[in-house]
Amino acid sequence: MTNYVPEALPRPANAAPWAKVDPKNTLRIALASILPAATAGLLAIAFGWQFEFTLLAVFLPLQLVAGLWLGTVTAGKRGRGDALLVIFTVFFSALVLVLLMSVLWSVVSNGAAAMSWQFFTQNNVYVSANTSLEYGGVGHSILGTVLIVGLATVVTVPLGILIAVYLTETRGKTRGLIRTLIQAMSGLPSVVSGLFVYAAFIVTGITQYAGWAGSLALLPLMLPTVSRIAEESLRLVPADLRSAAVGLGAPNYRAFLQVVMPAAKSGLVTAILLGIARIIGETAPLVLTTFAAATTSVNIFNGPMSTLPTYLYGFISDPSIQSAQRAWGAALVMLILVGVLFTAARVMTRSRVGKKTKKNGK
Amino acid sequence: MSQQSNLKIPERRKLNTAPTSLGDKIFFRVASGAANFSIVLVGLILVFLLWQSLPALQGQGIDFIFGSNWDAAAETPVFQIGPMLWGSFLISFLGVILAVPMAIAIAYFIEFMASKAVGRVATTLIDLLAALPSVVLGLWGFAVFTPVAAGWAESLNKAFGWFPLFASDGAGFLASPFIAGWIVAIMIVPIIASISREIFSQIDRDLINAAKGLGGGSYTIFKKVILPTASGGVVGGVLLGLGRALGETVAIFYVLNLVFEINWYEILQQRGGSIASNILARFGEAGPAEISALMASGLVLFVMTLIINSIAAWVVAKAQPWRKN
Repeated sequence: MTNYVPEALPRPANAAPWAKVDPKNTLRIALASILPAATAGLLAIAFGWQFEFTLLAVFLPLQLVAGLWLGTVTAGKRGRGDALLVIFTVFFSALVLVLLMSVLWSVVSNGAAAMSWQFFTQNNVYVSANTSLEYGGVGHSILGTVLIVGLATVVTVPLGILIAVYLTETRGKTRGLIRTLIQAMSGLPSVVSGLFVYAAFIVTGITQYAGWAGSLALLPLMLPTVSRIAEESLRLVPADLRSAAVGLGAPNYRAFLQVVMPAAKSGLVTAILLGIARIIGETAPLVLTTFAAATTSVNIFNGPMSTLPTYLYGFISDPSIQSAQRAWGAALVMLILVGVLFTAARVMTRSRVGKKTKKNGK
Repeated sequence: MSQQSNLKIPERRKLNTAPTSLGDKIFFRVASGAANFSIVLVGLILVFLLWQSLPALQGQGIDFIFGSNWDAAAETPVFQIGPMLWGSFLISFLGVILAVPMAIAIAYFIEFMASKAVGRVATTLIDLLAALPSVVLGLWGFAVFTPVAAGWAESLNKAFGWFPLFASDGAGFLASPFIAGWIVAIMIVPIIASISREIFSQIDRDLINAAKGLGGGSYTIFKKVILPTASGGVVGGVLLGLGRALGETVAIFYVLNLVFEINWYEILQQRGGSIASNILARFGEAGPAEISALMASGLVLFVMTLIINSIAAWVVAKAQPWRKN
């Protein structure tokens, strides 16, 4: 028995008129995209113009003219606005990208020179401005950062998550106020936070410069980030899950601990990671509360400590080449730490989103 | 017909959602305790700063904010933060003016122009920009960006030097508010961009499709649909960025020349001010009287940012009515 294969009906010639692109038009788009850049580049090479001048005074006007021409030819008067919008958007987006890439590239390329095993392990005790890079490193600062940020995290995370719980799980009357206040606190100047801890703990004589004072100064900076992202992720848990758990007779706290929290787990971990990334580079509060030290210190409750930001802060303005290299090296270490935290947070978020969309069958 | 009914209407039961079990009581108590702690924390910051700054505020009076002299070594020390205040505002406004086009462009690009994959990459990059420590940005600004931006400033001065805004006394173009403004702009682009993107993504797609169906081009849609719908949220984002810009400390510390001389419009001069950077710059060598003055300037900064950020948070919340619950 032979299979009957129905013959496909011919597609009508006038189907999907939007899919038909006039080859002339494609050519015009290509011309309007390439010609201004090519002309400006050739002129700049021929006359030896500066890059910025070429970009702003030659390329941009040419590109605007080309865009306006293309818009007018393809869509008449209203095409002009569209062309301007595209040029504006691409230009400014590219500007942001270039600035970001410049920061990343200069940190990586300048910091690479300082990288070595002993840079990660040694401290700063016998290092002066002209000491060769073969001696000394950021070991004590990494340790200090881990301790201070760790203590801040241990204190802030439960607090931040509880605030998120208040905002999502309860019907408290002050939720709007708290939400506004948390949002406003996210703009708290870091130096003010340092001044506060200095006034409350160091002026009053409770402690000298010490690591834990730094942790306290980081708390108000980390709190808004943690509680906002935690609130966001708790909010994503469907209300049905809560109702079902309560309907089965669970008290609210068990419904939260055993149903809502596991469902929002990856979001809560993201909140913690991004909170750490927020404070790991804070300098001003630590300069005011933990100060800096050249020695390795593990006692977080007594005496000044060095952290990566204060290490970097101390070396930036020193004119010697070695100091500059140490500063870039510390910047690279910090960037790597932020990058690791950030990637981990991304992976967490992605897995959550993936699961959610699969469940909804989208 | 006066038959007494022995049906009694039962007393209305009081409906109550308050927790009954002990566990729940503790759970809700602890949660609202944590929430109230955030109010207490802000209150404590205010109280301690006010307490520490009283000597300076009493000694200097209203001139503390409007005067323009700072001398800790004088017989009667003078502490007046006028130039720092003006400088903070100048740098912040400059930063916002530079940041807004970049932020809106990138938000529009991610939401309406880029494909999904490109949009995701761009979002990650913007978030990464937000996570850059400000001291790293300060190092970059000091070592890499300042020479480049000084070149830009010089050309600006050459082309538009007749205009007071771009005037220069010829002493050079390093360490000016112009450069600090760029650094601040880079810091606040991610804040404005992420809020704008959030608002853009929530705009009703039917509205946009309807505009398209009526023959609107992308520019018309941007002007007539996207901007009016999203303007509240964008303004809120800009205010949040302004608050962050006012409080920026370390990055500005390295790229700005702090001078106690009021300069509120000459962006290319090597005279600038920033309250936050001034605190960092003077704290290490300050005696008790000067520390009190620095506390007072911190108080001024805190109150300003708190007001701006609260307004911003309120505006952003108003602009997202769908988030009410």
